[in-house]
Amino acid sequence: MNSDPADIAGLRNGSTIHASGRDRKHFEDDLVEHLERDQFVAVTSRPVERAALSARTITGLWALRIFVIVVSLMVIYTFVDQLH
Amino acid sequence: MATTGADTPQALDAPLTGEDAARSRDRLQVQSAREGRKRWRLLWLLVGPGILAMLGENDGPSMIAYASDGAQYGIGFFVPFIPLLFLMAYVCQEMCMRVGAVTHRGYGELVLQRFGRVWGWFGAGDLTLTNLVTLIAEFVSIRVGLAYFHLGVGIAVALGLVLVLFTLSGGRYWRWERIVLGMALFNGLFLLAAILVKPDISAVARSLDFSPFPGGSFNTLLLLLASTIGATVTPWMIFFQQSASADKGMTPRDINHGRYDTAVGAVLAAIFGIGALIAGAALLTHGGSGIQGFAGAGFPEALRRVAGGAAGTVFALGLIEAGAVAILTISASTAYAAGECIGVSHSFNSSPRNAALFYAANFGVALVAAAVILIPGVPLLSIALNANVLATVLLPVSLVLMVMLANDKGLMGPWANKRSTNVIGIAVIAFVGICGAAYGIDSFLQTVHLVGS
Repeated sequence: MNSDPADIAGLRNGSTIHASGRDRKHFEDDLVEHLERDQFVAVTSRPVERAALSARTITGLWALRIFVIVVSLMVIYTFVDQLH
Repeated sequence: MATTGADTPQALDAPLTGEDAARSRDRLQVQSAREGRKRWRLLWLLVGPGILAMLGENDGPSMIAYASDGAQYGIGFFVPFIPLLFLMAYVCQEMCMRVGAVTHRGYGELVLQRFGRVWGWFGAGDLTLTNLVTLIAEFVSIRVGLAYFHLGVGIAVALGLVLVLFTLSGGRYWRWERIVLGMALFNGLFLLAAILVKPDISAVARSLDFSPFPGGSFNTLLLLLASTIGATVTPWMIFFQQSASADKGMTPRDINHGRYDTAVGAVLAAIFGIGALIAGAALLTHGGSGIQGFAGAGFPEALRRVAGGAAGTVFALGLIEAGAVAILTISASTAYAAGECIGVSHSFNSSPRNAALFYAANFGVALVAAAVILIPGVPLLSIALNANVLATVLLPVSLVLMVMLANDKGLMGPWANKRSTNVIGIAVIAFVGICGAAYGIDSFLQTVHLVGS
């Protein structure tokens, strides 16, 4: 698996696949030429690796999440109350 | 990029899908224009997601919010405030475009895969809730516009749903994008409405110094800020622009054009939003009349009485356009999120047979919203006015995760955020979060009588 940023940069600077299988039909080869390697459905359908979040980041995200839920409930309560 | 198996030959030996073939044809056009140094042709081919996100957000509730600001407070403060908000929107949307172009993946799937299912589903839940509420408001907007022409709610529902079906029928992202772009340009009707009310140009120029500041209670001011922010930056825009950029087939080489696309969208949206504000301000000296009549013909009718039939008609047509375009873009963002989170095909370049859930979610969410406005006695006015506020309150989490993705060097490599972008992005999140939370908390405390109004 490739995780070297420099290599990634090379991949993404417009490099394309020119002939990934000699037995492919000619029209498929033509189409393949115009897509980047990691644009294919076969590639994008594979999940990216899970990020390793620090305990501080996870705590911060949960704190924000809970805060947003509480404020949303307040807005919804106010909205329902105004209806009456 | 994080390890994906993306670079293995096995992955590339998989057969080409119809989605690959359709996207490849679009990329062929881009490549030809680039090699032929046809700058305007290249720009034409690469614009789309940014303009659609920005003009899609100039939707029915947003234009009503701008017009209400004008009718109640005049144009002072808001004329410079609206462009400032769209500058904030540009910062957020540029990140979405860049992440989509570099990773070729939508926001929902990246959050789910990179940060875990809990965060992915929380995001999708927020999106579904705000999108459903906003879609109801879009149908209300179409209904208000049609009511001016003495057409009923049934026509509004039929128009919205037929448009969704029509745009879904092509099986190509390009076709969908161009149809919706063509419709979105009619958002300029609000600028025409502003011209028709014959505004005092010197007053517009004087208002550029953020004065006079809107009066009223602290809670009213917070409501104004929250609803105006919600009229400019929302969760659906984040999902939509990243997914649409990936679906369009944008690559890192297209990022500069993606920035032009987003900037043009922001400028147009700000101009048209100010148009709605100025048109609404024509009602200021008439006591802001027409606002209470929102559930009926409301604004267009009030405008007709004050500024003439042409202004009323143009404003009514603008509301129909704003609602219709937003129904298409917001339904699309829901469909992208559903496909990405469940892990099935999610592209306009896939056929309905191969992406059944994507197409079903796209039409289904519009259908549910349409059904709600047909229920007698549903408080449509309150739903429409609260849609933007709810979006503002839920936005900070989506923005934080977006900034985290845009900073992820494993995903973004050399296209990760620069320090200056992070500083501005964090300032935007703080501003949005504080305004939304302050309104939510203050309103709640007033409702339970813990503070006076």
